[in-house]
Amino acid sequence: MRLSPDSTTYRSDFADDPDMAEIVALFVSELPQRMAAMQAALAGNDIERLRTLAHQLKGAAGGYGFPKLGEAAALIDRGIKDGCDGNVLRSRLGMLTAIAGRIRP
Amino acid sequence: MASNEPLPKVLAIDDSEPIHRLLKVRLQYEPIELHGATEAQAGLRMARELMPDVILLDIEMEGMDGFGVLQALKADVNLQDIPVIFISATASMEDRVRALDLGAIDFVEKPFEVVELKARVRSALRVQHLVKMLAQRAQVDGLTGLWNRTYFDRRLLQECSEAQRHGRCVSLVMCDVDGFKKLNDERGHPFGDMVLERLSRILQGGRGSDVACRYGGEEFGIILPHTVGIEAIEVAERYRKSFEVETWHGAPGKVITASFGVAEMAPGGRLMSVADLVAAADAALYRAKLNGRNRVEAAIAANPAG
Repeated sequence: MRLSPDSTTYRSDFADDPDMAEIVALFVSELPQRMAAMQAALAGNDIERLRTLAHQLKGAAGGYGFPKLGEAAALIDRGIKDGCDGNVLRSRLGMLTAIAGRIRP
Repeated sequence: MASNEPLPKVLAIDDSEPIHRLLKVRLQYEPIELHGATEAQAGLRMARELMPDVILLDIEMEGMDGFGVLQALKADVNLQDIPVIFISATASMEDRVRALDLGAIDFVEKPFEVVELKARVRSALRVQHLVKMLAQRAQVDGLTGLWNRTYFDRRLLQECSEAQRHGRCVSLVMCDVDGFKKLNDERGHPFGDMVLERLSRILQGGRGSDVACRYGGEEFGIILPHTVGIEAIEVAERYRKSFEVETWHGAPGKVITASFGVAEMAPGGRLMSVADLVAAADAALYRAKLNGRNRVEAAIAANPAG
């Protein structure tokens, strides 16, 4: 995961891999709805759903060349396993959302 | 693996669509055929239909998880030998141990290193290739290379059930080398072995759909699916003629022959079980021996005396 020269966006580790271009672009284009689904799950107190989504992102993000995104998702997964309260989860989801917002294919 | 073999099939069961896309791209240059299921039940169904050579299995899935899928696979006699590689973002040691104890062959952590994933898939495919080869070898006769008795019993049962279900015929030819014991005594066991091998090659060189097996000793059983008794008699007659003209190294002018008994299981016929069919073919073979050897006798409907 590379920081752009102006430090505002992240690009995939596989940005130069032509085999990966299409699915990385798809992954990035689906990120906003994935984040929205996680926020909705937390707002609706559907913690199990939030954990599934976080767990899936944790498993996939690194494979698409966005390890930091995966680590942030892992913090939410871990937090739910450890029984953290809503405030902690909200703050961790905030961090994840911030990183997701800076990701480009 | 020979190049004319079909590509090995790999089935990935994971509830995350991005993981399937990733596997598809990352394994695209591997000599495999990749299939995917995004849910446990669909995965089990595909496993039964595809009979994959390796299964990549996610642990944490909604509904039935990977451990449940693994247990279902191991409980199914047809699927239990397929190597399963767990792929999971859950790296806990307890989960790894549990997966291996339940029969998984390997474990890959998500996010996976592509090179490592490929190596582990290749390694699992090698194991599966050996398992398949051993399973096949356990069904092949060592001397003649024909299917052995174990395979004969299983295959005949299968062909008979299928014939009955679809209202088709299946025929059975039993064959025995004439005077084999005397040959062995006079010329020694290596000569006897050569005779069995030569007859086996003739039986094996018949029609592609016929299944030649060594029944035991100098007796052979040839299963002829979708074949009526009349046709089976012709097939047996061809085998008989091919064998009697063989020439024998170290025994010039020696004529060695075999006798054949034929029976058919036909819709509405009187032979309704595998045991009936074998007994009838055996009785016909016995009659061929009594009637002078080197001949084909049949127990088919047109010949009620059989």
